[in-house]
Amino acid sequence: MTTLTNEEIPPMENPSIQKLYELQDVTRVFRTGGGEVRAISDVNLEIYPGELISIEGPSGSGKTTLLQVLGALDKATSGTVRFGETELTEIDDKELTELRARDLGFVFQSFNLIPTLTAAENVEAALVTVAHSKKERRARVDELLEVVGLSERRDHLPTRLSGGEQQRVAIARALANGPRVILADEPTGNLDSETAREVVSVLRKLSTERGVTVIIVTHAEEVARMTERRIRMLDGRMLNGNGDPTWNQ
Amino acid sequence: MFSFTYMAKELRRRLGRTILTALGLAAGVGLVIGIIGVSEGLDEAQAQVLAPLGSVGTDILVTRVAGSTTAPTATPTPTPAADQPQQSFGPGGGGFFAGPPGAGRANAANQADTTALLNENNNVVTDLSKLGKPGAKFTHDFFLSATLLSFPQEAVDQIADIPGVTKVTGGLTQLAQHQTGTVPQIVAEITTGGKTVTQTVRPDPMTAEERAAFAACAQKSGGTTQTEPAPSPGAEPRRGGTFFFGPGAAEKCLPKRFQEFRASFITPMETIRQVVNPPSTDITNKSYTAAGIDPASPTVGLVTQTQLTSGHWLRSTNPNEVLANVAYANKNSLKVGSTVAINGTTYTVAGLVNPTLTGNTADLYFPLTSLQKLAGKTGRVTQVLVKAKDSASVDAVAKEIKKLLPGAEVVTTKSLADQVTGSLADAKKVASRLGGALGVIVLIAAFAIAMLLTLSSVAKRVREIGTLRAIGWSKGRVVKQILTETIGIGLLGGAAGIVLGLAAAFAVGAFSPSLSASSNGVPGFASSTLSGLFGQTQAAAHTSTIALKAPVHMTTLAIGVAFAVVGGLLAGTVGGWRAARLSPAEALRNLG
Repeated sequence: MTTLTNEEIPPMENPSIQKLYELQDVTRVFRTGGGEVRAISDVNLEIYPGELISIEGPSGSGKTTLLQVLGALDKATSGTVRFGETELTEIDDKELTELRARDLGFVFQSFNLIPTLTAAENVEAALVTVAHSKKERRARVDELLEVVGLSERRDHLPTRLSGGEQQRVAIARALANGPRVILADEPTGNLDSETAREVVSVLRKLSTERGVTVIIVTHAEEVARMTERRIRMLDGRMLNGNGDPTWNQ
Repeated sequence: MFSFTYMAKELRRRLGRTILTALGLAAGVGLVIGIIGVSEGLDEAQAQVLAPLGSVGTDILVTRVAGSTTAPTATPTPTPAADQPQQSFGPGGGGFFAGPPGAGRANAANQADTTALLNENNNVVTDLSKLGKPGAKFTHDFFLSATLLSFPQEAVDQIADIPGVTKVTGGLTQLAQHQTGTVPQIVAEITTGGKTVTQTVRPDPMTAEERAAFAACAQKSGGTTQTEPAPSPGAEPRRGGTFFFGPGAAEKCLPKRFQEFRASFITPMETIRQVVNPPSTDITNKSYTAAGIDPASPTVGLVTQTQLTSGHWLRSTNPNEVLANVAYANKNSLKVGSTVAINGTTYTVAGLVNPTLTGNTADLYFPLTSLQKLAGKTGRVTQVLVKAKDSASVDAVAKEIKKLLPGAEVVTTKSLADQVTGSLADAKKVASRLGGALGVIVLIAAFAIAMLLTLSSVAKRVREIGTLRAIGWSKGRVVKQILTETIGIGLLGGAAGIVLGLAAAFAVGAFSPSLSASSNGVPGFASSTLSGLFGQTQAAAHTSTIALKAPVHMTTLAIGVAFAVVGGLLAGTVGGWRAARLSPAEALRNLG
């Protein structure tokens, strides 16, 4: 599928390509003590395999909620969220968990590494969800750390790693079970611009070289500009839908 | 294993919490181990108290203790003079053949028993002159029944006929007084009499009549008469006075009472033999206890073959063999093959025994017939030891024996256990109630602490748990991880608790508080002293003092660790439940 990813071909012009995500009228309402909060409203979105997408917007615009709905961490209050052949709003927690383990990878702003575990063990933590032998797990860990260029830091605890290194460990962890999508929530928020650029390059490379769909939530213009497709959110609504490619510069 | 690596690292990271939780559980576990240890120690102490029956393969012990009968009809016969110093006093105490019990006659009955008891112990006040001529050296062993009344051996056969009795044997326990000394001079001779007794008496003056009679008499005898003055009584007639007597006239004419008092007498010589009370002598006294056992009953009896530590069991063929208590043998330098001379017969120590009894331990064990002969109690026993078919039939057999022998004191292991009082029983109560309550409270507190700390740990790890859920960890895997951690803490707590518990048990052992256990009707020499013999009308309460130990068995440790693991499981379940309820989106949104 990697070959199908082509910057020159806009997604809408290739209807024959199987959609990875198809969101229709997705609304997520949170019930709080003070009433209902519509985090996202009537989102319609299609995402194709191998895309590198950024979701931009100010705080509270609903971009993180959208990412969590895409990441099978949260369920839409209404609307449909189709992921491949699976309707995410219709499956239970167990199936969602399996889906996350198998097809999705997460990268967070503050890295979210397990502080007691070494770089290698943090990657291994994602591998234990799928049946692997210990030997297989070790080989896979070495391979993944090689991909993010941290082989020599494998036995370091997160506190002994720089921010960029920690985020690269997180990316290795996200890649552990060969996911189809990597969802990154402000992956550069805690990094300086130089390191941020490096991290986004790694993500970009995953998209271009491995055909992994990468969705990055960010409010950094610099990061968004490195992606192929930019989605803008404001007050829970997508400003540019599927039919408005003008944002793609 | 990944989850173990994770668990170990997690516990190390949150060391303070781990230690606090583990210590809480350790306190609970330590207390439980300590309480179980003390409780088992108390059980062992009780078993020790009850050992007199249990350790000799006996379910029921039949004795006859002074005061235990209400109205014995067998009146003790007075002690006839004996040719030998040892008992040949006849039947001695009463038999079992008591009349119907009557509460109103209890005092009289006890009086009769006391008399019987005095009779049983009669040779305490035996005539020492029968030991030889005064001044001769003697060594003699006297055998006394102490507080146990003897009864005819036929009781053994009678009990054997009761259904449910598998084994029965008689035993004779005697308190022996080994006396060495000089036969005392017990008769003193006193000679009296052979002395002349003189006495001076001043008679009353003569009355007017006497004087007239005297004058008339004197005149008749040819003396001159003058009425005055009257002669002083008791004085010699004055010579050359106004009055003259013819020869013999004065004697003849004096009133009769003046003539008589002049007689003097000589007391007759006499020798009086008098019994000196008390006789003074240089007798030294050593006491020991002697028990007569049936050599043909090696499994049931006052001592059993299993308690033999060296040598061999008594042989029916040799009446002059004895078994010595190890403690007594050590004190008196006796070993297998040593000889003991008692009242002219030499006994060979056939073996050493180590009776675990606290109440009925004897120093020397004789063949029953030999001791009966020595003690002058042929055909009599002081105890009957009964082995029942099974534990269920013990009570029925005991009841039958009571019916058969109305004066009998029938003690079963169970009744003995029920009767145990004193600080041992109190301690058991305290241990089971207070100790149990304390253990429960501390365990609940430890569990609560473990659960709260686990909950707080889960709350602190919300983002971590959210991340794990995001990367594909199922609820079950997260719960399993938390359980692994809390059980790990539980095991740590269990290990620390074992240390605490062992320390507590060691402390109890080192302190070794003494407990006393009293149980009425455990007849034996532990409760009888010579001084208590006379006037003793009640069965003595048998009191044992036992040093408390708190033994810690493997099962106790396992129970302790199990509690700690249960605590860990509870904490993990609560924490895991909380973690499982966590929505990963919320967890990551709030803190991510």
